[in-house]
Amino acid sequence: MSAAIPRLSGGIPLLGHLLQLRRDPIELMQRCRDECGEVGELRLAGQSLVMLYGEPAQEAFFRATDEQLDQAAAYPFMKPVFGPGVVFDATPEQRKQALRNRSLRDQALRGHAETIARETERMIAGWGGSGSVDLLAFFAELTIYTSSAALIGPEFREELGPELVPLFADLERGTDPLAYVNANLPIASFRKRDRARQQLVAYLQRIFERREAEERQSKDLFQVLRTIKNPDGSARYDVQTITGMFISLMFAGHHTTSTTSSWALLELLRHPEWMQRVTGEVDALYADGRDISYQALREIPQLENCFKETLRLHPPLILLMRKVAQPFQYKDWTVPVGKNVGVSIAVSNRDPGVFRDAERFDPTRYEPGRDEDQHIFAWVPFGAGRHRCVGAAFAMMQVKAIFSILLRRYEFELAQPPESYREDHSKMVVQLAQPCRVRYRRRAELAS
Amino acid sequence: MKIRVDLDLCQGHGVCVEEAPELFALDAATSKVVVLDQNPPESLRKKLAVAVKYCPTRALRIVED
Repeated sequence: MSAAIPRLSGGIPLLGHLLQLRRDPIELMQRCRDECGEVGELRLAGQSLVMLYGEPAQEAFFRATDEQLDQAAAYPFMKPVFGPGVVFDATPEQRKQALRNRSLRDQALRGHAETIARETERMIAGWGGSGSVDLLAFFAELTIYTSSAALIGPEFREELGPELVPLFADLERGTDPLAYVNANLPIASFRKRDRARQQLVAYLQRIFERREAEERQSKDLFQVLRTIKNPDGSARYDVQTITGMFISLMFAGHHTTSTTSSWALLELLRHPEWMQRVTGEVDALYADGRDISYQALREIPQLENCFKETLRLHPPLILLMRKVAQPFQYKDWTVPVGKNVGVSIAVSNRDPGVFRDAERFDPTRYEPGRDEDQHIFAWVPFGAGRHRCVGAAFAMMQVKAIFSILLRRYEFELAQPPESYREDHSKMVVQLAQPCRVRYRRRAELAS
Repeated sequence: MKIRVDLDLCQGHGVCVEEAPELFALDAATSKVVVLDQNPPESLRKKLAVAVKYCPTRALRIVED
């Protein structure tokens, strides 16, 4: 006999808890845990979402196979972003193939460190001795260049410019939870999303045409995809589909890495003792004049722990979902086919049963002996199990490379009241709310 | 010592293959790790420890006999 799943109070007719999800999703998910316990059900328009809390329930969620829990069907807001035929619109088998992206394999990562360092140097080349910068704008542009250079190819990166930044912003802001009602409602954020996607398709089309006109031999992923043929000799992928693949490759690493970089810098500025420690660590590491390399980036544990702590407190994704494809059993509860199950990254990352003094920024919690991130089904900024972020290692290496340069070249300070830096949770893709400015000053000039 | 692998967690990043090619390979069909030597010699302990430490999904463990 199956036990009844507790239902969260406060849902309204038709929309259920959807408006609360748009207003304050973390409050909603925490309230569900407080009220219902390990398992609790809420409603998002016509969909039912059963939330799972605590390490054992989350482990069951993360270990389930694609045949049991379907990832694609649970994210209606992503379909119009990626477009037809790409990742979240593909079969589990096609997705498995897509996941085997060799550019994220360890062997490839070893060459990416220098690429990222070079792109960071280029971005700050015009900074001068002092000034101020909007963190989100800066990191959003930088990560477009780093991701495209590393994952698609350096030649392709050279064809991209700052005009892509607002297009990605519109795609990201197009992830409104109202997609649970209908992903094509006539609202401004969805219209902007669709227009941005069309502009991206046109942008890539121009790159293709330019390359074909110049008869240039390129070896990057972009060109490889373009030259794959069907048995009958026709091109396997059209520009629409390649644009979708490009968006999915870039999207996953874009808002995530740019918000994480922004928050890491803000947390270091809010905790000057940590800023001092990691600056000292980075200075010491490169004191012998060595280059930024894969190996060097492995040897900055304090900076790495600051990123882990930033990710725990400010996870760029706060809710993971799957659609139940075979009845999902946990303890005495059974979630039937057709409902959704979910894990809240934001709630899990602050679970007081796992993290001592969970609200506090404390990078020492990852030091040997405490190892709080070893709770792999509770410390879940990258998810866990078979769908764990495949770009996690790339992302960690990337932020360490970026900060290895920024912290050695410049000093930073907050340019706004500390409490004015905050997350915007109104979309499923979490972003830092703008403005989010900091001031910078070149370190060499300080010394002289 | 023995090597224990959690295949639910492995995503085929291949860090272990880079660190200790004597002990690990990637399966061509599944892209997941294959342990080449279930009872590795003591001389490979250091390499194995690095592979375990840097596995991005924490799929590997050393179990002492």
